[in-house]
Amino acid sequence: MTTMQERPRTADSDGGRTIKRNRRRITAGSAIVYASAFVLALVWLIPLLWALSTSLKTETDASLGQEIRWIPPEWSLEGYRTLFERGDHLVWMVNSTVVSTIVTILTLVLCVLAAYGFSRFDFPGRKFIFAAIIAGLMVPPQALIIPLFDIVTTLNLGDTYWGLALPQVVAPVMVFILKRFFDGVPRDYEEAAKLDGAGHLRVLWSVIVPLSGPIVAAVGIFTFIGSWNNFLWPLLIATDPSMMTLPVGLGVVAGGYGLFYAQNMAAAVLGALPLLIVFMLFQKQIVKGVAGVGLK
Amino acid sequence: MRNNPSPPGSLSRRTLLAGGAAAAGLGLSGCGSLATTLTDKTVVRQWNLLAGADGAVMTQMHEEFSADRPDVELQATTFGWGTPFYTRVVMGATSGNAADIATIHVARIPSLSPDTLLDPIGLDEIEEAGLSPDDFPAGVWEKCFVGEDLYAIPIDTHALVNYYNRTVCDQAGVLNADGTLLETQGVEEYFDLLRAVKDVTGEYGTSLDTWAGWRQFWAWYRQQDGEWIFHDDGYELDDEKALTAIEVIYRMAEEGLCPQVSDGAQTAANFENGVGGLVQVGNWEIVRFRAFDEAQGLDFSITEMPDFFGNRRTQGDSHAYILPHHNSWDPDVRRATIDYAAWMLQHSFEWGAGGGHTPAYLPVTESEEYQSLEPNAEYSGVVENVQFDPEAWFSGSGGRLFTEVSEVLRLVYSQELTPEPALDLMKERVDELVALPNPVD
Amino acid sequence: MTTETKTPRAGDAAGRPPSTTAPPTREKPKSWTGLWFVLPFTAMYVLFLVWPTILGLYYSFTDRSLTGRPTSWIGLDNWTEVFGDERAWDALWNTAVFTVYSAVPLVVIALVLALLVNRARKMGWFLRMAFFAPFILPVSVVTMIWIWMYQPDGGLINDFLQNTLGVQDSAEPTLWLSDEGTAMWSVVITTVWWTVGFNFLLYLAALQTIPKDVYESSSMDGANWWQQLWGITLPLLKRTTALVIVLQLIASLRIFDQMYLMTGGGPNRATEVAIHYIYISGFEGYRIGYASALSYVLFVLIMIVSIVQFRLFARKEG
Repeated sequence: MTTMQERPRTADSDGGRTIKRNRRRITAGSAIVYASAFVLALVWLIPLLWALSTSLKTETDASLGQEIRWIPPEWSLEGYRTLFERGDHLVWMVNSTVVSTIVTILTLVLCVLAAYGFSRFDFPGRKFIFAAIIAGLMVPPQALIIPLFDIVTTLNLGDTYWGLALPQVVAPVMVFILKRFFDGVPRDYEEAAKLDGAGHLRVLWSVIVPLSGPIVAAVGIFTFIGSWNNFLWPLLIATDPSMMTLPVGLGVVAGGYGLFYAQNMAAAVLGALPLLIVFMLFQKQIVKGVAGVGLK
Repeated sequence: MRNNPSPPGSLSRRTLLAGGAAAAGLGLSGCGSLATTLTDKTVVRQWNLLAGADGAVMTQMHEEFSADRPDVELQATTFGWGTPFYTRVVMGATSGNAADIATIHVARIPSLSPDTLLDPIGLDEIEEAGLSPDDFPAGVWEKCFVGEDLYAIPIDTHALVNYYNRTVCDQAGVLNADGTLLETQGVEEYFDLLRAVKDVTGEYGTSLDTWAGWRQFWAWYRQQDGEWIFHDDGYELDDEKALTAIEVIYRMAEEGLCPQVSDGAQTAANFENGVGGLVQVGNWEIVRFRAFDEAQGLDFSITEMPDFFGNRRTQGDSHAYILPHHNSWDPDVRRATIDYAAWMLQHSFEWGAGGGHTPAYLPVTESEEYQSLEPNAEYSGVVENVQFDPEAWFSGSGGRLFTEVSEVLRLVYSQELTPEPALDLMKERVDELVALPNPVD
Repeated sequence: MTTETKTPRAGDAAGRPPSTTAPPTREKPKSWTGLWFVLPFTAMYVLFLVWPTILGLYYSFTDRSLTGRPTSWIGLDNWTEVFGDERAWDALWNTAVFTVYSAVPLVVIALVLALLVNRARKMGWFLRMAFFAPFILPVSVVTMIWIWMYQPDGGLINDFLQNTLGVQDSAEPTLWLSDEGTAMWSVVITTVWWTVGFNFLLYLAALQTIPKDVYESSSMDGANWWQQLWGITLPLLKRTTALVIVLQLIASLRIFDQMYLMTGGGPNRATEVAIHYIYISGFEGYRIGYASALSYVLFVLIMIVSIVQFRLFARKEG
């Protein structure tokens, strides 16, 4: 397997030495470690593999009461075909992409601006506003759904991309994280840029943001994943199927999904795909990002 | 749990085809926002809760409608039956973004706060579309009014009926010479019949949905002339009759004449694979059993509910079209929407023949073609015997009364509760409902 | 709404700040310039977070209905009703039960996986992928797959129990999601599978910061692997464990998605959790006013846990 050749990404500086030393005492112990890790990983993959297997069967082979078979007795793309004929899966995918992209871009822009403002300027009310935003870290958005639904429908944003996206943009935690990072960026570069006559926005864009590349990327990726997987808010605000995001559409629209398991699992596999691809592309940033939560 | 009237189970090729057709039909509409911008047709958005086998019939009819009305694009969406669907209608209507038309149960109209969440339908509008008040049975028609305003157009009447497997029942010796099911009087006679059938199947006499016990309960309670009247601060329930009804349920399950645990899917499957020789379930399951018959053979017919307490009353409701509240109506869309409803009614022979429902549209049901339709004719009496749910804002198909009572009765079927404590728990749950301030009056 | 049950609270520190020690020096003179930078975010913050918080409090004193009928002030009626509402307390209890049931496996399994992967470094990429991948899936995909596996008749799990292990009688299949005794556990198992990867990565990262020489010196003292685990590794992971538990607690209090999709709160309300009951009261029961009062109770509870978390972070900040 090609995966085996990957070097451990997070190995510390003396990783090479450690491995060498470990090799010296390759023992029954480490064989057991490898074997059990491998078996556990397989167990962990079972649900996904089973979904994939079911999705590639004919509906008859996939239905209940059939013998469990991991390899489809007859390979079939029936499930996927019906799904594409229905078409709504594609609409939800587009909606999810649009909403998550709006959320990600707006979150990045608003939070980077705000973080920079708090980090580099003193202005009337600064302490108060910052404290208020920090307090927001503790407010559970799920407990606000009732009034929030009311506000968004009053603004006539029900069943619109903006109604889906805007409330998700308010992420105090991201402001907090970015501000802390900006605080640590040395001033020297900015001063140099300012001497060259660059304005504040220009400094932010061409000095601070590039210097903060990894953290801005991490905030962006996590915002995107969080928004893509958000269920409760779109469940409330997208009433028409044509405005639903993927998780909500899959969970709520009945038409046939309950009855046909191959189709059902095809929908699950296709629903899993976009983020699995995102994960493959940004694995390093995601793993580091999660690790950062604990290490900071 | 979702109270889907007919979810999964083993499949037949025919159901698959029907499902494929359903899927294709949804595909037409699924493209929602994309399609709306890409088409210059008049778009009519329809929401329904027909997640069961009758949904496939509706989809079939939608295809014919679309062929008949090339300038209209119909976008139909099916939501989970019961609460998920109704919640969506209410939330959509609150924000003014609900579909143009939706199928609901007539008994649910009061729970939908008609004066704020539904748009009234003008009699002139429906007449322009070719319908007339005389086309509907007076009883159902009246239920569509709130005060002076018409809020719904009835589609059908549907009810719990009794399907029987001729092969099994013949072996059990419970058929008449003409192949119809023996008529019984009283609980004991019917239990004897079930015992005979149970001997043949080796498992159950009849199959039924232990997750939707309200339907059985209401049928047995109403057969005893039981009334359930709700006031603002309480209700009148005939405890003795209610207890009798629950006892029937308890004893049937206790003796294994029916399953102790069986959801919608299992209920139908039990009948298909001969584990139960009969099944008490909605007339809409006919689609599914026919498909099974075609694929693997199932000689069955349908009759009314057994006479337990001197009559053959059964629980039921009517589907109807409503117009969820819009902040503003495009006149073209409005006209196309009413026209769609009229078209569906005028073609509701198919709804009756395919979906097993009894159409509300009299020109169809009075036609000779319909009168001679089998097996619909054999259970045509349900229309007189159907008992609508009691009147309260939390009542009606998939409503909170239905859900709460069914939840208690599920425990009776599974023998976790005996009748007396079950009645107590049921009343406790209903007390909770009554105590809630009425949010819709 | 960016944070839901499984969303990481913070995606930060993908890189460390180049210099963490330099205290931020601000441009001394107060000017309005900075305000323009924070204004856009603050406006959204006020509209979608501060305002609903105030509005929710106001609604909790009214009989506001989803159906749009006129609203009137009813004083403390909703609040007295909340405190006497058994169903609300049951829902909170179920939330607590879920939290307890899920917290233990989410900590222990994450730790075991991390210890294994930390030693099986040659398969690192594959293992991380296998354990973490479920975490990034949308909730409905996860529940679709598990509902399918939990099917009583012919589902993968019951088939395994019946035909492979032979511990289940095929005439009496376990009704995973519709039996009061198993429904909560079924949701817990699904949740563990789904979200343990996040905790696993936290532990793995923490393990990889433990210097090797710590082990080397204890090895020389003759400590075996087991003694090292209890004597060195676990104590060093204390902080991570505290973090995992607090994050878990906050996520569990907000649980809703899995229950809504898998059990609908049933059977017999056995899996009805706090947010779900708020949803039921507000959207299924149309009682916006009452649901607002319920929300506030939950709000305060989560607030308390969050303050604990905040202090945990703040302490090491300082």
